Amino acid sequence: MKIWIYIALILTVIPLQTTLLHHVTILDVRPDLGLVVVCLVGFFGGELDGLLIGFILGWSQDLMSAGELWVNVVSKGGAGFVAGLAGRHLAHITPMVLLIGLGAISCLSSLIFVYSMKTSDWDLMWHAFHSKVLIQAVLDAFIGAGAYWLFARRWAPDPFLQQDRL
Amino acid sequence: MAILRSTYGTKRLAVVLFALLLAALFLLPSQSQGVLQFLGGPLGQVLSVPLEAFSSLDRGMTEIWDGYVALRGIREENRQLRKELEFVQGQNNQLREAAVATQRLEAILDFKQKSIPDMVAAQVIGRDATNWYRGIILNKGEQDGVHAEMGVVTPAGVVGRVVKATSSSSVVLLMTDPNNAIAALVQGTRDEGIVEGTRNGRARMKYIPLLSTVHPGDRVITSGLTGLFPRGLAIGVMTHIEKEEGDLFRSAELEPEVDMTKLDEVLVIRSPYEDSDASKKMIQGMPGEKKKP
Repeated sequence: MKIWIYIALILTVIPLQTTLLHHVTILDVRPDLGLVVVCLVGFFGGELDGLLIGFILGWSQDLMSAGELWVNVVSKGGAGFVAGLAGRHLAHITPMVLLIGLGAISCLSSLIFVYSMKTSDWDLMWHAFHSKVLIQAVLDAFIGAGAYWLFARRWAPDPFLQQDRL
Repeated sequence: MAILRSTYGTKRLAVVLFALLLAALFLLPSQSQGVLQFLGGPLGQVLSVPLEAFSSLDRGMTEIWDGYVALRGIREENRQLRKELEFVQGQNNQLREAAVATQRLEAILDFKQKSIPDMVAAQVIGRDATNWYRGIILNKGEQDGVHAEMGVVTPAGVVGRVVKATSSSSVVLLMTDPNNAIAALVQGTRDEGIVEGTRNGRARMKYIPLLSTVHPGDRVITSGLTGLFPRGLAIGVMTHIEKEEGDLFRSAELEPEVDMTKLDEVLVIRSPYEDSDASKKMIQGMPGEKKKP
């Protein structure tokens, strides 16, 4: 069952990201649905699931992007693994922890893009940080937290642990 | 959802494999990216099916919006367009006359016939999957003869260049992306330069000579020097010319001829200069062209 959910996610997230999501940009920035999905898979499914789905989603995203073919592979794979570790070790995931955690993962993931620009122009890096990285982190954090809240209510892995969560 | 029942060994193996991949990507970047691109062919083909489906859905929704909801002010727009059409028809007649005169002169001077590029039409099925590049995804790929480093245009002008291609789709980096550069020419003064994208989604022509007489409103076209585009394709119109103290060149901001936010169909230039015999045949077959005995 789980494998089919993952296949469905891979086949819908990237087309959604590339076709429909550009209608809902904020300041010309879209949320990264791939990253949100990878983090949720990591939270619910563990590090291995997060790592593998992150790797495949990142690879698919790189194939549909003009950038170098490693940035999303690395950032999404890493994000899924970190989310899996967090999901397993954090006993109480409060809304604030979740928002900050997702925002931080999104920031780190975007900083890999900034690194891939191979530039020493601080002005360009600062522009990228405040005009893209921060806005995307806020969007990812809110969408991810909302989706986590929905999924945690429906598929709580351990009701005892979940009662104090979102 | 239950946690995957993986043994400690499986997890460790997955992490080690990922670490090895990371090491390969950092130590041998071009080779490992080449392998990922090659292995990603089937993945790209599988992804292109839902991508086309979502794209049709998007197009359907846009058509409904444009056709029924966003019709306010259409009468005024129609009136303006009719005026413009009259003006353009007049201009077209003058240009036809000029073209006939040019053809006659070319025949007298025995000029080589300008060849028509080999192009393939493609539909835009998506936008770049990240926020970091201004790109579009096309529904044509390697099986249609589309490869990386091919130019992409519309009848209005230059769009960008293909940077990645899988068997059934390809990714185009738009001209307005700062990572793109096109060899260009000012139509009036024939000054050469390089057109690059800017952060705000426009374009800028750099390396215009200091003594050049360019001014806002001048048209910029492709110079045909890089091989991606034939000479003479429209790029944009100069809106603002700058020269900073101590600079050796001037630069100009351009308004692109093509509206990059409303791209539906484009043409990929497979070869900028096709076999001249084929183009001669094409020109001879055109209406109004006299066939030689």
